[in-house]
Amino acid sequence: MIFAQTQPFIRWDWIVDHLDEIWERTVEHSVLTGFAVVIGLVVSTALSMIALRFRRTYGPITWTAGILYTIPSIALFAFLVPFTGLSLLTAEIGLVSYTLLILIRNIVAGIDGVPAAVIESARGMGYTDRRLFWRVQVPLALPVIVAGVRIAAVTVVGLVTVTSLIGQGGYGAFILRGLRRTFATEILVGTVMSVVFAVLIDLVLLWLQRRLAPWQRRQARAS
Amino acid sequence: MSDFLSELGAFLADPDAWLGGAGLLVRTRDHVLLSLFAIGVAALIALPPAVWLGHRRRGGVVVGALVNVGRAIPSFGILALMLPISLALGLGIGFWPTFVALVALAMPPIFTNTYTGVVEVDPAVTEAARGMGMTGRQLVRRTELPLAMPVIWTALRVSAVQVVATATLGAVVGWGGLGRYVIDGFAQGNDVYVFIGGVSVALLAIATDLAFSFGERFVLPKGTHHRDRGELTSSAAV
Amino acid sequence: MRYHRKGVIGAIALVVGLVLAACGSGDDAEGPGTTGSADTTETTAAPDGPAITIGAQDFGESAILAEVYRQVLENAGYEVSIQPLGGFRDIVLGAFEGGDINFTPEYAASMLEFLNEQQGEATGDAEETTELLRGYLSELGLVAYAPSPAIDTNAFVVTPETSEEHGISAISDLAGHEADLTLGGPPDCETNPFCIPGLQDVYGIDFSGSFTPLDAGSVTVQALEAGEIDVAVLFSTSGIIADRGWILLEDDQSMLAADNVVPVLTEELDQAYGEEFRALVDEVSAAMTTEDLTELNRQFDIEARDAEDIALDWLTENGFVDG
Repeated sequence: MIFAQTQPFIRWDWIVDHLDEIWERTVEHSVLTGFAVVIGLVVSTALSMIALRFRRTYGPITWTAGILYTIPSIALFAFLVPFTGLSLLTAEIGLVSYTLLILIRNIVAGIDGVPAAVIESARGMGYTDRRLFWRVQVPLALPVIVAGVRIAAVTVVGLVTVTSLIGQGGYGAFILRGLRRTFATEILVGTVMSVVFAVLIDLVLLWLQRRLAPWQRRQARAS
Repeated sequence: MSDFLSELGAFLADPDAWLGGAGLLVRTRDHVLLSLFAIGVAALIALPPAVWLGHRRRGGVVVGALVNVGRAIPSFGILALMLPISLALGLGIGFWPTFVALVALAMPPIFTNTYTGVVEVDPAVTEAARGMGMTGRQLVRRTELPLAMPVIWTALRVSAVQVVATATLGAVVGWGGLGRYVIDGFAQGNDVYVFIGGVSVALLAIATDLAFSFGERFVLPKGTHHRDRGELTSSAAV
Repeated sequence: MRYHRKGVIGAIALVVGLVLAACGSGDDAEGPGTTGSADTTETTAAPDGPAITIGAQDFGESAILAEVYRQVLENAGYEVSIQPLGGFRDIVLGAFEGGDINFTPEYAASMLEFLNEQQGEATGDAEETTELLRGYLSELGLVAYAPSPAIDTNAFVVTPETSEEHGISAISDLAGHEADLTLGGPPDCETNPFCIPGLQDVYGIDFSGSFTPLDAGSVTVQALEAGEIDVAVLFSTSGIIADRGWILLEDDQSMLAADNVVPVLTEELDQAYGEEFRALVDEVSAAMTTEDLTELNRQFDIEARDAEDIALDWLTENGFVDG
C-alpha cells in the first residue's frame, strides 16, 4: 500500500468534494492561457509583419525568440518577480515569451506559402499592399497560422502550471499543494486536468484549422 | 540594478562559486550527466518500436493522438507525480523522480517524430529496394533508417534541448543541477542565483543544440545533410 | 473570401468573449491567487480603506493562518484576499516592498533575527522579542500587532536509529558529526538565523557543506523517512514528529527563542483601519495556541484537508464566525 500512512493512492471522495475548486482553477487556467495566446498572437503578428517587410530582421527576431524559448520558464518567472512582483503580469510576460518563436515562424511561413500566382492575380486586380495582406495572404495563411496557435496554446497550458511556483493559480495550484504534502490525488488532478484542457483546446483549434482550409487535405509542414 | 551587477560580479569572481562542492561546474556536470542519461534511455526505449511501426506503416492513428497528448503533458505535473511514486518504491527524492520524469517526457516526441520520419520515406525508394530483393530487415537498415535519419536526429536534438531545460525543475523535488540556483535563489530572494541559473541552463541548451548540429556530419548518411527537416511536431517549452 | 473572414472573425470574437467572461467570473484584480471565499455571514459594511492582501508562505501552517485571518476579516466586512508566495521570509519582504501583500502571519524571533542579521537579540519572552522586532520593522514601514501565545520554532529531528548510533539527543551533540550527517530543510535554511547560521553561531556546528535543500514539511519528512537525510529541519508544531516516534533534539543552548506567531502588516494598513481592526486581529491571535496549531497542521498534512476548511472550523469552534 503506497501511502498507508497518509492516503490511498487515489481519493475519489476528495475529487468529488473539490469539484468547485476544480472549476475555479479551470477558469484561472483559462484566463492565464487565453491572455498569453491572444497577446502572443498580437505581438507575433506585429513582429512577423516587420520580418516580412524587412527580411533581414527575420534572423535576429527568431534568434531572440529562440533564446527566450530556451530559458527554462521557472527561471524566467523567478527572474521577473523582483521587477514585476508576484502578479499576473509577471506570469503573462513569461508565458507570452514562449509563444513568440512558434507563432512568428508559422505566421511568416504561412504568408510565404501563399502561391505566387495568387498574389500576381490579386495585384493584377489592383489590390494595394494592405488589402493584399489582410484580404488575400492572411486568410490563405490561416491554416498554418492556426496550426502554430495550436502548438503555442498547448505549450502555454503546460507552462501555466509552473506559474503556481510564483503565486499564480490554475491547475498548478493542485500540483504544488499536492507536492508539498505528498498527496498524490491532488497532484494527479492538477496534471490530468492540465492534459485534458490542453487536448480540448488542441482539438477545438484543429477543427478551426480544418474549417479554414477546406481545400487542403494535408497541412503544411509546420503542423 | 547596480547592486545586482556588483553582486553578480562578486559571484563570478569567487572561485568557490565555480569550483566548490555546490558550485557551477559541479552542478553543470550533474545537469549534463542526468540529461544525457535520460535522453539515452528515452531513445533506447522509443526508437525501436517507432522504427518498426513506421516500417510496417501501422499505428498511425495512435501516433497522431500521441503527438497531441504528449505535447499536452505538463512537465511540472509529471515531476511532482514521480516524487510520491519514487518514495513508495524506495528510490528516494531528487535523482530518480527527476530521471523518470525526464525520460517520460522525452519519449513521446522521439517516438512520434521517428515514426513520421520512417513513414515519410519515399515509397518509390522502398519499392525499388524491395524490387532489388531486400528483406524487411534489410530494407529498414539500408534504406528507411538512413533516409529517415535527418528527421530522427532532429527529433533527438529537439528532445535533448527540452530535457536540458526541463531538468531545471528537478530542483523542486530535491535534485541538484543548475535548477538549484533558480529554486534556492527564488526562495532566498537571491536574484544573482536566479539569473545564473537561468542563463546557465539557456547556454547549456544552446550548447546541446550545437553539439547535435555538429554531430550531424557523423550520423547522417552523405547526401541527406541538407534535407529539409521542417518543423517538428512537438517541441514544448518548459 | 467572405466565408473565411466571417469564420475567423467569429472565432476571434468567441475567444475574446470567453476570455472576458472568464475574467468577469474569475477572481479579483490581484490575480488568480485566492482559493475563493468560504460562505461566511457578512455583518457590518466594509470600512473604507485599502484592500487587504495576506501573504501565505510556502508551507501549510502559513496557509492555514492566512486563511484564519482572512476569514475573520472578511466576515467583519473587510475586502481581503490571499496571495500565495512561492517561498519564505525573503520573498515576504520583497512582496511587502513591491506592494504585492500588506499583511502576513510571521514568527517574532525568527523575523527579528533575520532583520538584525543574527545579532542574537531575541529572547524567550514574546513581548520583549516583539518590541525589539518593531524597532526593525518600522524602518521598513511595517508594524507588528500583539504576538500570539502559539509558538512554532524550527525543530531539529532525527530518527531513533540515528540518535542511538551517534549518541545524539540534543543539538549540541551534533557537533563533530557534520561530516557524517546530512541536514535537510527548507531552502531558506542557509539564511534563516534559526537554521544553519544559528547552528554555527550558537553551537559552532557547520552544516553548510552537507545541507540538502528541500521544501518545508512533507518532502523533508519523506526524505528523513527514506534515509536521504539524517537531520531534518521541521516545525515544532508538526504532528508528524510524535506520530513517527522521532526524536526532537533538545535545544540545550537555547538557540531557538520566542517564535510566537505575530501578524506583520504595513503602517499604511494599520493607519487606514485603526483600533477596531487591530482589536479584531489581536483577539484572533490571542485565541490561537500551540496545541491548536499542531492539530491544524495535522489536518492539513495528514488528512489533506483544505486550509480554508481547517481555518473555518477553528474559527467556528472559537466563536469568531458562525460556521
